[in-house]
Amino acid sequence: MRRIIVEYEKCDGCKNCSVACMQAHRKSAGTVYDLDLTSPENESRNFIYQAGDGTYRPIFCRHCDEPECVMSCMSGALKKDAASGLVTYDEKRCGSCFMCVMNCPFGVLKPDRTTRTKVIKCDFCAQDGGEPNCVKSCPKGAIHVEEV
Amino acid sequence: MMHVIIGGGAAGITAAREIRGWQPDAQIVMICSDEQVHSRCMLHKYLSHERTAEELDFTEKGFFEKNQIVQICDRVVSVDTADKEVCLASDRKIAYDRLLIATGAESVIPPVGDLRKAENVFGLRHLSDAQKIDKMAEDAEEILVIGAGLVGLDAAYGLQERGKKVTVVEMAPRILPVQLDEHGATAYQELFERAGVSFRLWCSVQNAVCGADNRIHSVELDSGETISCDMIVVAAGVRPSVGFLEGSGIKAERGIEVNSRMETSVKDVYAAGDVTGLSGIWPNAMKQGKMAARNMCGVKPMPGVDTEYADTFADKNTINFFGLVTLCLGALQPEEGDEVQVQEDMHIYRRAILRDGKVRGILLQGDISNSGIWQYIIKNQIDVRGKGKKLFQLTFADYFGTGERGKYVWNV
Repeated sequence: MRRIIVEYEKCDGCKNCSVACMQAHRKSAGTVYDLDLTSPENESRNFIYQAGDGTYRPIFCRHCDEPECVMSCMSGALKKDAASGLVTYDEKRCGSCFMCVMNCPFGVLKPDRTTRTKVIKCDFCAQDGGEPNCVKSCPKGAIHVEEV
Repeated sequence: MMHVIIGGGAAGITAAREIRGWQPDAQIVMICSDEQVHSRCMLHKYLSHERTAEELDFTEKGFFEKNQIVQICDRVVSVDTADKEVCLASDRKIAYDRLLIATGAESVIPPVGDLRKAENVFGLRHLSDAQKIDKMAEDAEEILVIGAGLVGLDAAYGLQERGKKVTVVEMAPRILPVQLDEHGATAYQELFERAGVSFRLWCSVQNAVCGADNRIHSVELDSGETISCDMIVVAAGVRPSVGFLEGSGIKAERGIEVNSRMETSVKDVYAAGDVTGLSGIWPNAMKQGKMAARNMCGVKPMPGVDTEYADTFADKNTINFFGLVTLCLGALQPEEGDEVQVQEDMHIYRRAILRDGKVRGILLQGDISNSGIWQYIIKNQIDVRGKGKKLFQLTFADYFGTGERGKYVWNV
């Protein structure tokens, strides 16, 4: 399977990855220049958080080998795809219980901000041929995709 | 190898899938009382008519065919562990090499008045319960729910969405008493009341007498009040379904006794899920089912493949009614000497109970974004001091580590 490898030492916290993620998953058409960064509907699936010393840590979905989110899903919405290794999410099946949010040991998941009916979850940019936009947008090479 | 699984809930289905992964050629038979696989966590959405019975299925389409699992819809009446056979209500006998008991639990109807014999009193546990409730609700106006735990509120939610007049009676002084403190519970109570549900807290049903039609039309509370009702949903707890084990030699008291490999006291018989009485939490049932399956297949532990049920932490819940989400983990009541931290604004409520730098319990309401770290912090008793941050600002960034193949690991 392919995974986004994180080298946090290279991250300078610019959040280009988060903006790219919001742009990739926005509902309306448009370019990154008219992306509404303040709209609660535009949410990033990845997070850059600061450690106590002010340095940055990219928090990205691992599409885990033994995914705790899948092991908490009571609706069948979250699945580990045997072929691609990705953890996929079907929002139509989701029962909005958010046990996956509770169970992700790295705190990557969250309920959507506007309706609280679905989970904000990395889909490896399946709509763009499975090449994650966050990786393409990182100017520091702090994240890259690797076959693992 | 013949694997027989009794029960098609979270533990049973997870086990079947796992067995198929390890043993492509083994025979798998699942005995389920309901033909339709369903997630009991979504029964409220069936009652509210947001989902059909088919939409409660948590398996993918064609799950049984794809995994070559023979599904038998029948009730198990006994288990003969000497001859290694399961006896069904239809008199059929199914031989097994390995048996998994994942029969879950049943609603408990308290022996108050005629609650146990009336025909308009239901538990809410299975799809069949929800279907009976749904049918009778067609002609019911006033519905009484006994118990304001998660199941009771599920019933109340679903039925008020159908326009019914719902009254909930709860013994504790607040709703969701096992999950929430007063502040957190009041927020939900207000939402339910706004939707038209009324509550009678800190009181219990003292008497309920059947009419000539074998139905209860009103109940008396210990407060002296009489509440009229057309039907009653009882959500007063569950007990593991172990009745059919009598004489099998499989040790069970409150639930079936198992070790960390999910083995029962009888060789080649395993148990997983609510029937063990270990927890009533879906993720724990799945994990137990998975570990049982691995041991049934004789899998040896290796890096990345556990065979023991070690992640036993079960004081965990998420709640989502009317778009208000809550996460509750660990201890709910502070003890003498505990530190309590609270953060609150118009939209959120956060409360943590700490002792000696370790979090004993946490409650997050309104916003549970990225909150998965808290379960890890609590169950692994991680000292949260010395990170240069306030408690509720902590994220995985403060414990960030990476391992082989780009995995994240906790650095504590």
